[in-house]
Amino acid sequence: MAANVRGDRESDADSLRQRAEKKDHGGVESVTENAMSYWMRVKALFKRQQLDRDLGDELAFHLAMREAKNRERGIEEQEARYAARRQFGNITRIKEACREAWSFVSLETTWRDLRYGARALAKNPGFTAVAVLATALGIGVNTGIFSVLNGVALKLLPVPKANQIVSVDQILHGKFRRNLHGESGLFSYSEYKNYRANNHVFSGLLAYAPFLEATLGGDSPKQMMGAETSCNFFDVLGERPALGRTFVDADCRAPGASPVVVLSDDLWRTRFGADPTIVGKSVSLNRGTFTVIGVAAPGFRGLDPWPSAFWAPVMMQKALEPDADLLLDDNTAWLALLGRMRPGVSLEEVRAELGVIAGRIDQQYPGRTTTLVIHRATFMGRPEERSVVFGIGTVVLAAVGLVLLIACANVANLLLSRASSRQKEIAIRLSIGGSRWRIVRQLLTESLLIAFLGGMLGSLIAFLSLGSIARSVLAHLPIGAPQLVWNVSPDLHVWGYSLLLTALTGIVFGLAPALHATRQDLSTAVKGESGGLTGKAHGGKLRSTLVGVQVAVCMVLLISAGLLMRGLYLAQTVDPGFEMKGITQAQFDLPSQGYNLARAQAFQRELLALVAALPGVDQVEQAHVTPLSHQFLGTGFTLEGETENRQFEFNVVSPGFFAMLGMPIVQGRTFTAAETRSNAQVLVVTESTARKLWPGQDVIGKKLQGWEKKVYQVVGVVRDSQASHLGQSDGLFFYVPAGPEEQDRLQLLAHSKGGDAANIQGIREAMHALDPNLIVGVAKLADNLETWRTPSRIVAALSGVLGALALLLASIGVHGVVSYGVSQRIREIGIRMTLGADGRDVMRLVLRQALRPVVIGAIVGVIGCAAVSQVLSDVLYGIGSHDPIAFIGVPVFLLGVAFLASYIPARRAVRVDPVVALRYE
Amino acid sequence: MEKDGDLMQGTLDMLVLKALARGAKHGYSVAEWIHESSNDVLHVEEGALYPALHRLELKGLLAAEWGASENNRRAKYYSLTATGRKKLAEEAEYWRRMSGAIARVMQTA
Repeated sequence: MAANVRGDRESDADSLRQRAEKKDHGGVESVTENAMSYWMRVKALFKRQQLDRDLGDELAFHLAMREAKNRERGIEEQEARYAARRQFGNITRIKEACREAWSFVSLETTWRDLRYGARALAKNPGFTAVAVLATALGIGVNTGIFSVLNGVALKLLPVPKANQIVSVDQILHGKFRRNLHGESGLFSYSEYKNYRANNHVFSGLLAYAPFLEATLGGDSPKQMMGAETSCNFFDVLGERPALGRTFVDADCRAPGASPVVVLSDDLWRTRFGADPTIVGKSVSLNRGTFTVIGVAAPGFRGLDPWPSAFWAPVMMQKALEPDADLLLDDNTAWLALLGRMRPGVSLEEVRAELGVIAGRIDQQYPGRTTTLVIHRATFMGRPEERSVVFGIGTVVLAAVGLVLLIACANVANLLLSRASSRQKEIAIRLSIGGSRWRIVRQLLTESLLIAFLGGMLGSLIAFLSLGSIARSVLAHLPIGAPQLVWNVSPDLHVWGYSLLLTALTGIVFGLAPALHATRQDLSTAVKGESGGLTGKAHGGKLRSTLVGVQVAVCMVLLISAGLLMRGLYLAQTVDPGFEMKGITQAQFDLPSQGYNLARAQAFQRELLALVAALPGVDQVEQAHVTPLSHQFLGTGFTLEGETENRQFEFNVVSPGFFAMLGMPIVQGRTFTAAETRSNAQVLVVTESTARKLWPGQDVIGKKLQGWEKKVYQVVGVVRDSQASHLGQSDGLFFYVPAGPEEQDRLQLLAHSKGGDAANIQGIREAMHALDPNLIVGVAKLADNLETWRTPSRIVAALSGVLGALALLLASIGVHGVVSYGVSQRIREIGIRMTLGADGRDVMRLVLRQALRPVVIGAIVGVIGCAAVSQVLSDVLYGIGSHDPIAFIGVPVFLLGVAFLASYIPARRAVRVDPVVALRYE
Repeated sequence: MEKDGDLMQGTLDMLVLKALARGAKHGYSVAEWIHESSNDVLHVEEGALYPALHRLELKGLLAAEWGASENNRRAKYYSLTATGRKKLAEEAEYWRRMSGAIARVMQTA
């Protein structure tokens, strides 16, 4: 009985090594053995050729010895050699096995695959260019969008050790009363002091009021954004000043005691000419005098996307905002809180301890429970902002992800076409025993190479152009919007995202073609026939599916873009429910400019007279907030007979307000002049308010209890309009008369029959004549509408661009596939034409086959989009989510484009000379 | 059969080490030695031998040197290193224990 010690069937040194190592029963020895093996292989890396030669010699020697032995046995020479060879076995395989034992298999294979792939790509520059460009397009767009989102919402704050800083917000549940001076998640000053005094998790807790607008006095007064902050603001953030000092505890000793201010670097340079002696000088903020104690470091612009120009101690709040005393009110939300965690403290501990403090505060307000939202501080970190950004961000990322998908399908199709031209080579490799996995791996390496080339190209272009794109978008924001500063430069997050996306993309578009190319009917492939006469081009079904997918996704994107554009169109023409034509608004804030009530009353009186006297002006009215100006007034009033108050929005207007804006009074009347003069406690409510509060009853005479427990009586009902929020007209809303007590809060509206432009100039001059130092914004009332339209405009532009991209990619894809299909079937076409088919028949045949996946994809896309449009209708104004124009127009358009893309190669097919076609190889 | 090959491979290493215990040999003589020493029972195919030799060399159990063979051809001679000798002793001991145990099991009725 003889036993043969056979070699392994698979010449895979890795598995050989692994199995040998499994046999090792001394743990320590295998470690040293492995180490030695590594070391030897590293040494051998540089002696590849020598190794190969030696191996060849070694095996040749063995062969020669065997041959000699055979001859000794008496076998004649030729036969001896053949016998020796036969006994030896597959020399090549043995050499492979030994060579592999000496190599770092994975690394070397990968390196070899990369070189091979690079060579293959270089040999087909056309294919490579298209594939890389398509990938670059898809990945570039994705990276760009992600950079923007990263800069807006994911980056930590630009301060030292920013990962220790957490933001604290609160959400109130249950029954409660709260005054809002900003977002609902903010804190009152006493709450801040409570948290600050009672926590052990923070090395410092700061508070700041985020939306402070103030007028900087001087030769040319200007409005700017700043912040009132607690005196440990700069210390907690770790920001040292460039000049002078920042706040100390003494600055927050008592309200109004320390009128100091820290300027931002930008302000110091632009406004004060980088004056090195600025420290100690006085500036005028909201007509109050403040001493400059320092200048912040360049690059520090505060904690919000809109840059702060100055910081003042929170104790100066009343000086800066004279009409509200927020320091004393325990129940007004106006401060944002940020804390720096002590080293070694975890987020859970912070949440736990602060939660306890919140619970204690809640005990003062029975019926109210507070939940805290605490996480690492980023821009747009507060819950309300965050949900907006995440909502929009998700939709946008999904959209660009779909574009990437189309690009992937395109490249996959290209790869399929190319793989089928290498069918012979692959088949031979498989038939001599090559492992399928190895070939797939090589093809995947090529795909990853394309992906990385495209990804790098796309990301680079995105980063380079992102700056200018962001700037131009921000420049086109309407004038009222704050000047945002977004840092969209790439950081670790963005690079990581880009790399991950690239790798994923490479695998997605490479895997299917690679698997497909290596699973095949060997005999036909080796013979070189490309699909034969049946016309089923190799991989036809996969290709058709890919085309179908492309068309479906493209359809979804285009319909979405179409819906958004329609939404924009409708938003442009939407009737807000009141008249804006011919009305000019003048916005100004008297108290912040140092006006007391008496001065304000005098000012308003003169102003009204002046403006009314302007040529063309036929009506002048007053209002606390002008329609759609993004200023909102809210308060709680109680219904007669109820104990709980309800939240209302309101406005303070002069009697002619409704008439000027074309808001008809449907019941009762507007205020009389007498009521206005005497600050009478009367109200005009909107239709919805009347309906909601007193359904079915006569509203006139009904009472509401409000400020200072005074009772207000309804005298009129005005038609609903979208006066405060575009797209919303049914909230609880009332109007009170603009009496003498209100004069310091009111702004101006003027109507003229002629052009608005002359009005604007006239009003400005009039105001300037009265008070040259007053900051005033005079504009057409219709401009307010612009601010509301901007988001949808940006969204529509973005979706238009993406839709166009998707369309381009999909058309290229369809065109490519049809061309390829035609070239595959040239022989068949030739035969058909010889047998009597004419051009039209051929055309019909080709088109029918080409357009089938397109139509299927289109149907799937339309159905898919119907599902998606539910989400979109949240962003749109008044558009039904099944807008027929979009849902019919877009598919027709897309099918038209697909038809055109197929038509061109089909025509080429028809022009084929049958004789040439028959000989086509 | 996969199973046979597995067992044989681990044991093959031991046989190769043993073959070289008496002095340096080239690959051909290792195969011959095993064939003869096993009374023509074991025949090591080249496809198993050479990968094994190279593997052992990589692990540092064998040292290799090029020299002239009997008929003046260039041949690669393998010899045991100190580590190799140690490994041989361990493997031999393990084998003795294993085969003894298996024999005992098979002897019980």
